[in-house]
Amino acid sequence: MEKPVATVRSAAGISTGMLSIWWLLASEIVIFGGLLGAYIMHRIGHPEWAEYASHTNTWFGTLNTVILLSSSLSAVLAHHAAEQGDGKKAAKLLYMTVGGAVGFLVVKSIEWTIEIQHGYTITANSFWSFYYVAAGIHGGHVIVGALFMLWVAGLAKKNKELQRVEMVGVYWHFVDLVWIFLFPLLYIAK
Amino acid sequence: MAAHKQNFFMKYLWSTDHKIIAMQYLFTGMFMALVGGFLAYAFRMQLAFPGTDIPLFGVVSPGEYNALVTNHGTIMIFWVAMPVLVAALGNYLIPLMVGCDDMVFPRLNRLSYQVFLVSAIIILASFFVPGGAFGGAWTAYPPLSTTAEFSLTPFGSPLWVLAVALEFVAFLMGGINFITTAMNSRAPGMKMFDVPIVVWFIVLASILFMGSVGPLIAGAIMLLFDQLVGTGYFNPGVGGDPILYQHLFWFFGHPEVYVVLLPALGIVAEVITVFSRKKLFAYKIVLYTAIATGVLSFFVWAHHQFVAGIDPRMANVFTVTTVLISIPIAEMLFVYIATLYGGSIRLTTPMLWALAFLAEFLLGGVTGIFLGASGADVYFHDTYFVLAHFHYTFFPIAIISVFAAVTFWFPKMFGRLMNETLGKVHFWITVVCFNGIFLPLFLLGTWGQHRRIYNYEHFPELAGQDMQQLRVFATMCLVVMLCAQAIFLFNFFWSMFKGKKAGKNPWKANTLEWTVPSPPPHGNFAKLPVCYRGPYEYSHPDREEDYWPQDEPASETT
Amino acid sequence: MSEQATSHAGHGTDGHDSDGHDHAHGPEHYVKIWLLLLALLALSVAGPFLEIQVITLLTAFGIAVVKASLVVKYFMHLDVQPKYVMYFLATSLAFMVLFFFGIAPDVLHHEGQNWVNMAAEEEIVRAFTARRDAIDTAVRTGVDEHGHEVDEDHERELIAERDDITERLVEMGVAGAGEVSFDAATTFATTCGPCHGEGGAGDGAAAAALDPHPANFTDPAFWNDPEVTRDHEHIVTTIRDGGAAVGRSPLMAAFGAQFDEEQLEAMALFVEGLNPNAE
Repeated sequence: MEKPVATVRSAAGISTGMLSIWWLLASEIVIFGGLLGAYIMHRIGHPEWAEYASHTNTWFGTLNTVILLSSSLSAVLAHHAAEQGDGKKAAKLLYMTVGGAVGFLVVKSIEWTIEIQHGYTITANSFWSFYYVAAGIHGGHVIVGALFMLWVAGLAKKNKELQRVEMVGVYWHFVDLVWIFLFPLLYIAK
Repeated sequence: MAAHKQNFFMKYLWSTDHKIIAMQYLFTGMFMALVGGFLAYAFRMQLAFPGTDIPLFGVVSPGEYNALVTNHGTIMIFWVAMPVLVAALGNYLIPLMVGCDDMVFPRLNRLSYQVFLVSAIIILASFFVPGGAFGGAWTAYPPLSTTAEFSLTPFGSPLWVLAVALEFVAFLMGGINFITTAMNSRAPGMKMFDVPIVVWFIVLASILFMGSVGPLIAGAIMLLFDQLVGTGYFNPGVGGDPILYQHLFWFFGHPEVYVVLLPALGIVAEVITVFSRKKLFAYKIVLYTAIATGVLSFFVWAHHQFVAGIDPRMANVFTVTTVLISIPIAEMLFVYIATLYGGSIRLTTPMLWALAFLAEFLLGGVTGIFLGASGADVYFHDTYFVLAHFHYTFFPIAIISVFAAVTFWFPKMFGRLMNETLGKVHFWITVVCFNGIFLPLFLLGTWGQHRRIYNYEHFPELAGQDMQQLRVFATMCLVVMLCAQAIFLFNFFWSMFKGKKAGKNPWKANTLEWTVPSPPPHGNFAKLPVCYRGPYEYSHPDREEDYWPQDEPASETT
Repeated sequence: MSEQATSHAGHGTDGHDSDGHDHAHGPEHYVKIWLLLLALLALSVAGPFLEIQVITLLTAFGIAVVKASLVVKYFMHLDVQPKYVMYFLATSLAFMVLFFFGIAPDVLHHEGQNWVNMAAEEEIVRAFTARRDAIDTAVRTGVDEHGHEVDEDHERELIAERDDITERLVEMGVAGAGEVSFDAATTFATTCGPCHGEGGAGDGAAAAALDPHPANFTDPAFWNDPEVTRDHEHIVTTIRDGGAAVGRSPLMAAFGAQFDEEQLEAMALFVEGLNPNAE
């Protein structure tokens, strides 16, 4: 499909793709902000949640944080490669990032399986309800991000639409950012 | 621009062209308006003639009554006001008015309509599932909305939440398109203050929507899980809090009314400037006021919760902010009146609708001040006074300004003029009947009539003849008003095929959409325009013509 | 169409991209940031081990903010985007702050001016009481809710937690929370009864299998045993440190962890009271 002229104009001094990603992030800040704000209010108001929260596994959480931080590294290196015009390298680094996403999801599945087996299900109590929903919505964003990344990588391999590497990277860094705050909330400052 | 041959499916159902997508939103919204109007007919007939067999509906049971009022409100806001005002007009006008060939993300645009269509189908489907449609009010407070044992709609409740959540997603996607297009795809020479007000207002509305819907999306997911999975986010028995839901809802709910108000105000601005042949009184003030209103709208939400059990100290804060927000809106009305003052007024059908908007919205706005004062609200909350207030604001927004927009841009959309006589007859009947429906409701509200009650015969102090007569009167006005819409529908569809041909610029307006053929071809502009001036240069002293199109270079004065 | 792709492709030579950001220092720069992020992560994980709440919160969230700014600045390159991008992102954040402070007075606090959220307080009390009971069971039976054995360290932690809960319940004004209504007779029946019998006659359910038999406190012979001086101190020590500590059978376990001084006294007195010849 031919791109309309509208898409390549940049009267605001920024490419339309990047501008739209920043607006997307503005809306995501409010979504996660609402959810995490509600969680924080409950956590502070319900001191008995400390005992429930003590059962989250900090090592799984730390491992996942390492995975996500590293995948952000490969995402920004992909952007760097795309800027150099090296589509093949960018694609490879994006595939590594997707690998990180998959790793994150695998670790999470194992973690959740263990927790569910111990009886910490989503209906066990309100802490666990928030835990699963917050991490779950974040995980949903990981999945969507990985799928978009695959699509962008497929095009980048052929040196097409290289500007999208930065766009998907910025989205991915945001997903990482949310986790950077979820991690202490759910695993450290329990 | 490439003109490719397309079959019917590709051209009308799978199109990425912003004008076609706009039409899809418009027609879906119009259809849903008929549905919403029918629901209103059914429940108002029940109120006027309780327990009787309503023609075209049957007997209304208490549960059905709740479902009718709930879905009337939900459908009118989410499937009529928003798609028509924001999505249809935004889609149609923004690329044309900023001078480019389409939205920046045409495929995302198409996807947003498709998601929207699915949401519309789901809400309609909820009427046909066992237990019927959700009846817990458009606000859907738990525990009524979370517990099938109370709501008696085990399927209707989650379907309702799902439909609303999908509608939110569709509008988030659409919003990104509108904002990015308006910011980035402007014609060369079109500076920020050369953009028509309606475009800015739709963009601001999208930003407001985007900034406020997030917590409610989280809340909708939590509500759905409470309904289906057995979590207890809003269940105080297990450490949840129903007041949290109320806050999540209204943090969005209040900015939402400005999300629909701003496009309506934008439409009125376009119409009154064209039909008074006069510049908008103070473009920058209007724009900054709208931005201030948008920001302030985030600070007033708990005025919907004055009697819900919020901390009274918060109620003090919200009273102050709520009364404050009436100031910028009032100021905007003054600016519009100042725009009209001294103008060469043409009372065409669109102009009549725009003027009616100003008059009716004024009534709605001032009655809001009573409700914003928490002391008075203790009495008025949940009475018909509230209902009359928000219909005096919502009806101008969702109906009056939409008729103004449709009658104004119809020639551009379909290449033909609508019939003026039919338009005026439709206008007068609709507006007179509208007042006939809702003025009595202010009275009934102050006399103590509560909302969401399906039969006032059960309340001796509300069942008096004087009150019941007002209810019957209001209902009769509604019936007449609904019947009168047939005039509009006839005018709309007949003129589409048989109306007088319109040409490019029948109203002699300045903005860029009037420089292209009617209807515009795929790609809009044979040659992409350059912008030389602002959008409201009417009756300029340096010109013989009383209008000055934005794309005309300065040297070409006639 | 591919204008933007080529415009990026052409930047390899001068090291600048369309945002004007200087990438001349290349990928090592990003790797350094990544290592810094990992180091900060390690710090934040280590924080809780100091067991000082303020420090834990500081390291957890303070470091999160630092990590976030690193990602925003160096990975997302927010600093080279047009200024307004930062403004509208900051506005979103500001709305979230507004959201939090507008709602917290109702949801975070459970009481305010003229109102109390009784359901929430009841839930807190219910949860804490249930937890306290669970701790009691774990300490008494030696097995926690997962079926794991409770060793000494764990037991100490559990008791500390229990005391903390008791403190909170007392703070909340829960009636009778602080006074652990310690009834020696009931405790004897449940704790000592299995071996010594509910009446202390050495006829508990487990008695038959034990050699030597558990003591029969109702038998004067026990109290007048010529070989053992069963004075008050002896009884207290036996209960607290077990039979081996007083040169008797190790089958009598040590119950010192379960009773504090006052409770030990009460138990000892109760046992002595079983002596038919007690004054």
